[in-house]
Amino acid sequence: MTLAVESWRTELASLVGESRLVTEPEACAALAADGKVPNCVVYPPTAKQVAAVLRYAAEHDLAIIPCRNGTKLSTGNPPRRYDLALSLKDLNHVWHYEPADLTISVEPGMKLGDFQHFVGRDRLWLPLDPRGGVRASIGGIIAANAAGPLRQGFGGPRDMVLGLKIATTDGKIVKTGGRVVKNVAGYDLIKLLIGSYGTLGVIVEANFKLYPKPAERVTFTVRVGTLAIARELRRSILSSPLDALRLVLLDSTAIVLTRGTAKANEQKDAEVWVEVGGSRRVIERCERDLGQLGRGIGAPLGRLEVREAEAAWDHISNLSAWLEGVYPDVIVLKAALPIAAGEEFLSHAQQQAEGERIPAASFAQVGVGIVHFCLLQEKLIPGLEGLISRTRKAAVDLGGTLLIEHCPTQLKGRLDVWGTPGDDFEAMHKMKSAWDPKGILVPGRFVGGL
Amino acid sequence: MKSTGFFRELARIVGEEGVLWRPEDLMLYEYDALSSVRQPDAVVFPRTTEQVVQIVKVATRHNQPVVARGAGTGLSGGSVATEGGVVLGFSRMKQILEIDLENQRARVQPGVVNLDLTLAVSDDGYYFAPDPSSQKACTIGGNVAENSGGPHTLVYGVTTNHVLALEVVLPDGEVIHTGAEHWDRPGYDLTGLFVGSEGTLGIITEVTVRLSRKPEAVKTLLAIYDRIVDATRTVAAITARGITPAALEMMDGFTLRAVEEATHAGYPMDCAAVLLIELEGLKEAVEEHADEVEAVCRENQAREVRRAKSAEERDLLWKGRKNAFGAIGRISPNYYVQDGVIPRTRLPEMLEFIGSIEKKYGLRIGNIFHAGDGNLHPLIMYDSRDSEQSARVLEAAKEIMGRCVEMGGSITGEHGVGREKINLMPLIFSDDDLEMMRRIKSLFNASGRLNPGKLLPTGKMCGELRVQAGAGGVL
Repeated sequence: MTLAVESWRTELASLVGESRLVTEPEACAALAADGKVPNCVVYPPTAKQVAAVLRYAAEHDLAIIPCRNGTKLSTGNPPRRYDLALSLKDLNHVWHYEPADLTISVEPGMKLGDFQHFVGRDRLWLPLDPRGGVRASIGGIIAANAAGPLRQGFGGPRDMVLGLKIATTDGKIVKTGGRVVKNVAGYDLIKLLIGSYGTLGVIVEANFKLYPKPAERVTFTVRVGTLAIARELRRSILSSPLDALRLVLLDSTAIVLTRGTAKANEQKDAEVWVEVGGSRRVIERCERDLGQLGRGIGAPLGRLEVREAEAAWDHISNLSAWLEGVYPDVIVLKAALPIAAGEEFLSHAQQQAEGERIPAASFAQVGVGIVHFCLLQEKLIPGLEGLISRTRKAAVDLGGTLLIEHCPTQLKGRLDVWGTPGDDFEAMHKMKSAWDPKGILVPGRFVGGL
Repeated sequence: MKSTGFFRELARIVGEEGVLWRPEDLMLYEYDALSSVRQPDAVVFPRTTEQVVQIVKVATRHNQPVVARGAGTGLSGGSVATEGGVVLGFSRMKQILEIDLENQRARVQPGVVNLDLTLAVSDDGYYFAPDPSSQKACTIGGNVAENSGGPHTLVYGVTTNHVLALEVVLPDGEVIHTGAEHWDRPGYDLTGLFVGSEGTLGIITEVTVRLSRKPEAVKTLLAIYDRIVDATRTVAAITARGITPAALEMMDGFTLRAVEEATHAGYPMDCAAVLLIELEGLKEAVEEHADEVEAVCRENQAREVRRAKSAEERDLLWKGRKNAFGAIGRISPNYYVQDGVIPRTRLPEMLEFIGSIEKKYGLRIGNIFHAGDGNLHPLIMYDSRDSEQSARVLEAAKEIMGRCVEMGGSITGEHGVGREKINLMPLIFSDDDLEMMRRIKSLFNASGRLNPGKLLPTGKMCGELRVQAGAGGVL
């Protein structure tokens, strides 16, 4: 049943309260997805109301995108339709917090920065440095399976979420998992929701396992002249006893960008950055070992100042948002690869960009096979699709996948941002229909148009 | 008994020697480590994925249930054929197909024994992290189906944290590949859904696992206590210091004495409880943590803290722990083990509660816990020939489980729901939660012929606990 905009807006307002449905153009535009602006934004304050909104939307065939700050709204194919933004801003409670059990239960609208501040009092943290940094919301991090360089030491959301409550399109709230660190009762729907980009249901509560914060953290740097040397260093670090918390390979442009400037770099070499953590004695040991590994490739070991390191890692998390400010048409490609293929992929990607004379920066989490390759352009130039397709082919040939994490909307009509799905797509399709039979959640944005 | 045509069709796929159907041959397959239920109608041993596909199709034509089985070491009845039909035995699919150390992964067939995979990469300094106590016998396929744990999952996570990709045969014979050689393939994480689905969604025919690098240093401590409550308090105190041991196990005095008599591991015979604590990592970190942990143990009234001086001593301590269930088998004709989970800070309270249950029901309960993650394994001893006593065991088990749930815990930490806890599911899941799981099950296994009678209670069911006493008297 299709209703006139005014009438469904009135009915929705009665579900969430007048003041919680906003139609101001500015608020709507802030949550636009690929140029599509929603008719209104609703701010339900409780999980039950989220479920009620979903049910109403399903009954009236209204397309919804759930979000918080929109730090990941640029990812995905253009939405087929988009009536209403479901803001989880007001779902911001901490329900349970047991520092001694290292567990916490929070609502999805909580920002990561607030979360870390909250548990930091007890010297605990959630070791995630996702896209969007401290502004990223808990719900968004889970929905986008957003993990940054800390994945090296701690894994991703998949290794940290203990339980979820999910509002479904039939207006129910279903629970999966629990609040204890070990639990195999029932199907693991947590994994299904992680990385589903809001296409199955809306996360209204999440239980996490927390981690003790390392006493100290230090970032060491090693200059690497070529990708072959970088590969050698990566291999020797990964086969050493050292437990890196973060391990990245930055090209010379990326190094400059981590300082928050876009000035050209006189240094032409790339660097490997290794963050380690623990007591002073442990850090000294790491420094000795890394120094030795550096000497093996003829490079001295550098060390970032604590503040400098923090700011640089923050910049890496905030990369796309920050780059967008400087290069309006920036394209961020994210390749996920077998670990051994990282440097080879980079070499392909760099050749492609050089061939088209497009300045690029690469941020590679070389210990886990994730490479962010950014094409720094101020305006779209022709020939880009070819470049991206060839880069994608290189990733696929190496056993990986390539996601166009961020790009101008014009490009999206010509390229699928996710790449080609595999032989399990039919099963994914069925999964989508089981959760969202009317197809109202984030329609058309996800893999294969789900 | 099925028609001979059915058996002939199966034999055509895997050869005569690949099918068992005589009742005397099937006897071995009527039970797992929990219970004996009934015999399957046939056990088939495929060698390839293609053969699995063919078998599944024959079973479909004859409308027969299909139950996958690894080594039969499961503790929740997951691999027994509750409704008969075909058991797919994976003992002939035990090839390690590929080891790729630079990419920290291995691709294996489901019948590969857990420990064999570790042994295959051990000389190169790697291992497969999930280490169930049955790791000398249990298979990777079974680990994936049950999402198995083990003592060292405290810091390294359970099976699901170590599985990258799967090949799965769906009930209609279609073969799909989920996941990838890396973690971040776009799309729904079906690998994560299949892990722990207990053979009710598809038949796993190939597994790509993540291998872990062996730590530089390992230190194993044995803290000995005169009061059980002091041992349980130590657990949360260690965590509060910001230390996550690789393993943190607790055994009470009763269990300990049984274990010591069976394995001569060097455990003290006169204490109330021990904690077995293992620290792993960089030499410097392990040394510091070992000193801190020892201090915490002493602050919590440990009588003595011993450190294993050699790899042999360490192995012996672990041998004792991993053979504990067997040791109990020497002193009690039957035992019933549960694996409820509670927040670790509630351990002291839980121990006291279990003590009161022992008295109330006049039963002997041994306590052996993965204490670090709050995963309990109370062993309730009984004699199945005594039906009145067996009934008391059920009542006692029910109260303990109810208490786990009240404390915000779970009914199973690593053994799975299987057949055993199917009726406990409503204790922690609402009708809506269960309905969603049923909906998902029906996407893959609409006819319900894949491992029937497991994991999900059928239809509406009240929250009443009903653990059935089987024909053999085992629960």
